[in-house]
Amino acid sequence: MIPEPVRALLFYLCAGLALAGGCWVAFARNIVHSAFALLATFAGVAGLYAFLSADFLAVVQLMIYVGGVLVLILFALMLTSRIEEARVSNPTIGLVPGAVVLIAVSALLVYACVKEFGGTTDLPPGEPTTAGIGDALLSRYVLPFEVISVLLLAVLLGAVTIAGGRLRKPAPGGKPGKERP
Amino acid sequence: MVPAVPPPVRPNPVRAYFGNIRRAVSSTFEGMTVTMSWLFRRPSTIQYPDRTEKPVREMLPETYRGLLEVDLSRCTACLLCAKTCPLGCISIETCKHPDGAREFQTFDIDNGLCMFCGLCAEACNFDALAHTREFEASVSSAEQLTVRFVDRPGRLVAKAKDLPPRRPRGSILAALIPGFGRRRRRAAPPEPPASPAPAPAAGAEGPENPEGTA
Amino acid sequence: MNIIQHVANLLIRSVFHADPASWPWTWLVQAVVIGIAAFLAFAFVAIFAGPVSWIERRIAGRIQSRIGPNRVGPQGVLQWLADGVKCWLKEDLVPAAADRPLFLAAPYLVFTGMFGAFVVLPFGAQVVAADLNVGILYLLAITSLVVVGLLMAGWGSNSKWALFGGVRSAAQLVSYEVPSAFSLLCVVLLAGTLSTQGIVAAQGGWPWDWFIFRNPFMFAAFFLYFTAAIAEGNRTPFDLPEAESEIVAGYNIEYSGMRFLFFLFAEWANIWIMAAISAFAFLGGWQIPGIAPEQIAATKGWEFVGWQALSWTIFLVKATFLVFVVIQIRWTLPRLRVDQLMITCWKYLVPLSMLMVLGVLVLLALVPEGGGADTILRGAMVGLGLAVVLVSALRVRRTFRVDREHYREMEGRDLWYPPYRLP
Repeated sequence: MIPEPVRALLFYLCAGLALAGGCWVAFARNIVHSAFALLATFAGVAGLYAFLSADFLAVVQLMIYVGGVLVLILFALMLTSRIEEARVSNPTIGLVPGAVVLIAVSALLVYACVKEFGGTTDLPPGEPTTAGIGDALLSRYVLPFEVISVLLLAVLLGAVTIAGGRLRKPAPGGKPGKERP
Repeated sequence: MVPAVPPPVRPNPVRAYFGNIRRAVSSTFEGMTVTMSWLFRRPSTIQYPDRTEKPVREMLPETYRGLLEVDLSRCTACLLCAKTCPLGCISIETCKHPDGAREFQTFDIDNGLCMFCGLCAEACNFDALAHTREFEASVSSAEQLTVRFVDRPGRLVAKAKDLPPRRPRGSILAALIPGFGRRRRRAAPPEPPASPAPAPAAGAEGPENPEGTA
Repeated sequence: MNIIQHVANLLIRSVFHADPASWPWTWLVQAVVIGIAAFLAFAFVAIFAGPVSWIERRIAGRIQSRIGPNRVGPQGVLQWLADGVKCWLKEDLVPAAADRPLFLAAPYLVFTGMFGAFVVLPFGAQVVAADLNVGILYLLAITSLVVVGLLMAGWGSNSKWALFGGVRSAAQLVSYEVPSAFSLLCVVLLAGTLSTQGIVAAQGGWPWDWFIFRNPFMFAAFFLYFTAAIAEGNRTPFDLPEAESEIVAGYNIEYSGMRFLFFLFAEWANIWIMAAISAFAFLGGWQIPGIAPEQIAATKGWEFVGWQALSWTIFLVKATFLVFVVIQIRWTLPRLRVDQLMITCWKYLVPLSMLMVLGVLVLLALVPEGGGADTILRGAMVGLGLAVVLVSALRVRRTFRVDREHYREMEGRDLWYPPYRLP
């Protein structure tokens, strides 16, 4: 078994990675850098999951967030013009409301953390979690699971409607389906 | 009366879909078998330069315009070639002896300038300046691109009356360019038709490129 | 117990004369052994990438009726070393307008993604760096780092071609991950586990024990996975991210020297990874015909080592064969257009792979394993596989024979030139 100091070191490395990535995301002037810094955050969080013996969650975190969400964000960024100008991509609006929101949210988070996870707990033993998660998703939580998939379906339909509607509208004098936004 | 044009046949989409799959599979399969069969065929290309049955220059036509060479024993220093050259890549200098005989100081051809147009060789009345079939002109420094044909001091300019026979084309260049013949030709592989590997190609037909292969 | 713990325990007992279970430094020795194993895997990537690049060029030469590199070393086998040294000595150029940190970091991210996949590849009966419970998912997840790396390279280069290449590559990877995941889901359904070693253990050594010949849907799923994997690896005919005729070289256009080489390493490593995944998920992996994994695990000493080596060899042969197929496909099929690429994925591969999952599920419910119907199905599938091999061999022979006549008439010599005789 890995001794405690080494475990702690690895833990703080993961946590630090997530935190530093988060700070970079927030403070970078270039929004593309922010997006790439998200990678560090996601990887750090995946490491934390692995520490909590949540192997399935760690891998899925990497797959969904890095492979899906991050790539989509990057896509959106790279297809946007003038994205590197800080005035366009991250303008500063409303310092005071921002501060209020920040304080409120962090207070809520700290309260929830202390109330729910105060003190220390023993790490669960490193057991495979896949079977348990699958069981829970398809028996006890099957309704929320299905509701979420309906939500995703709605999102898909919405995207197709928005994109398809624009494509089908014939451009004046041009061939239908060639119009660019 | 408009002639009845049959409406365009719209393929059944389901059939088209599965037809596409079938065609994708069958054409990939077909293509794979064809490329696989090429693994068992003799390659069409020949390894240059040392797997060819004879040196490449010997396979070139006689009229090939390769590097220029001049046979000084037939050169009357009429300067026609130097004047015809559009680029001025030929430089000839002579000096006169007290007894009236003329001696070559320089006869340089800058292969870096030459564009192998053949005007100089055409201008030469005595078949002294001619193209060889030598084409491997790479050298290790820019200076070596200039070939200096005056090999010894006191080489006299020839008289048009009594000219010696032309030395074989390429032999002069072969003698001049350093490093010629040092590189041995690798023997051709034994299998393709049992032709004996050509001997190391030193000899009549121009220099072998020292750096050579690339 | 995997081989790393085995070696570590052996070391502790013989060198330090301590009991591995109670000794406080066991973890350190294990970490060192893991580090050495990682180095070996790293060296494997590098060393594999080299000769395969030479092999690919020789095969490409033969397919295109030319010779290929044969100058460096006997028959050119050292060509890759010459290329490596050349790239190493080249200037590490960073374009002035590039986004410097992103530009510099991208090759390493790409390579990390590829290299991370080696952790769970089951090379032999006990030879796997980490037998994760979520091995297959991990494979799918870690390769997503590659996407981010490619996008990073595309953006950081500050070149429109590089950006096009990066975006194309990411779109392609994200799209083709769906059919490849569905095809692997078929495997997971049959094996009942996500662990790579578990998937191999659920198969057997004989062809009728392999998942590919389990039923028709698995047979199709194998080809669907293989297609999707080629696309994920940006290989021809799906190499749009580096289409020379359109965007010069795609995401790696601004790179030079070692950084460029890292992209190439990642590409070669990726060929190996996809071949290895296909081999262990569909073709029985390292399973030795006639020997159960438990029997191998029960052996001791040199016998153990021998069986390990045999299992390793079997796996390598299967994977190398698939690598060859990938190479041959590259020199067979022309490149797709972008819209064709997306149509292939979303209109054909995705629905078909979903259909395969459904089919495997139905058959799993209807045909109990080990029953008479199962045996007949497997036998039929093995027969189908043999038929495919036989028919393609005959087609090769026919194509060859037709041209042989013409060649003899024209050239006066025989067309036959066996592949083992290198020109």
